[in-house]
Amino acid sequence: MKNNLPHLRGERGLTQAQLADALNVSRQTINAIETGRYDPSLPLAFAIAGVFNRRIEEIFLP
Amino acid sequence: MPSAALSKPVKYAGRAYLIEIVATTALYVAAVLVRPWLAGHAATPALAAAAKVLPALPIWLTLWVVWRYYRRIDEFEQLKMLKTTAVAFGASSCLIVTYSFLADAGLPPLALTWAWPTIAVSWAITNAILSIVEHNEK
Repeated sequence: MKNNLPHLRGERGLTQAQLADALNVSRQTINAIETGRYDPSLPLAFAIAGVFNRRIEEIFLP
Repeated sequence: MPSAALSKPVKYAGRAYLIEIVATTALYVAAVLVRPWLAGHAATPALAAAAKVLPALPIWLTLWVVWRYYRRIDEFEQLKMLKTTAVAFGASSCLIVTYSFLADAGLPPLALTWAWPTIAVSWAITNAILSIVEHNEK
């Protein structure tokens, strides 16, 4: 699944580690999501959307 | 959301696991080392039998430590851990069965106490290989 997480993270000036801390996941998990190697669960996707005040479908693209 | 696993600081999971696994491994080694002496100096046959089973306790403790680690890490790390465990289980099974045939062909039979180190080494090697594979996928 594609996503624009790197773009949104860049807009906020967040590093992968800072976003990982905010979501209480590892930096490797953020990296895996951004590179499309891992699709997050719905709860984690909602948490990511919450951090950026966006809807899930604005972040994750089919 | 956050599930139970995500409600605690994930970034400290590795450090906590390392401390706990080193402690349980040290307990296992100590139990294996003192086992013959304890069994030899036991006052009753029941105590001697208990002394001989002593190393099994840290093994069960290790299982608990691994479970605690699993509960602390996030969903992606859990998936990786389950994948590693599944492959390591398969590799350990193949190793054990292969050696049983080799023992039948003349190699010295190994005690069942070798099963745990075999599983641990298989897990470590599998983890290293899968980490390299994943690193190269980036």
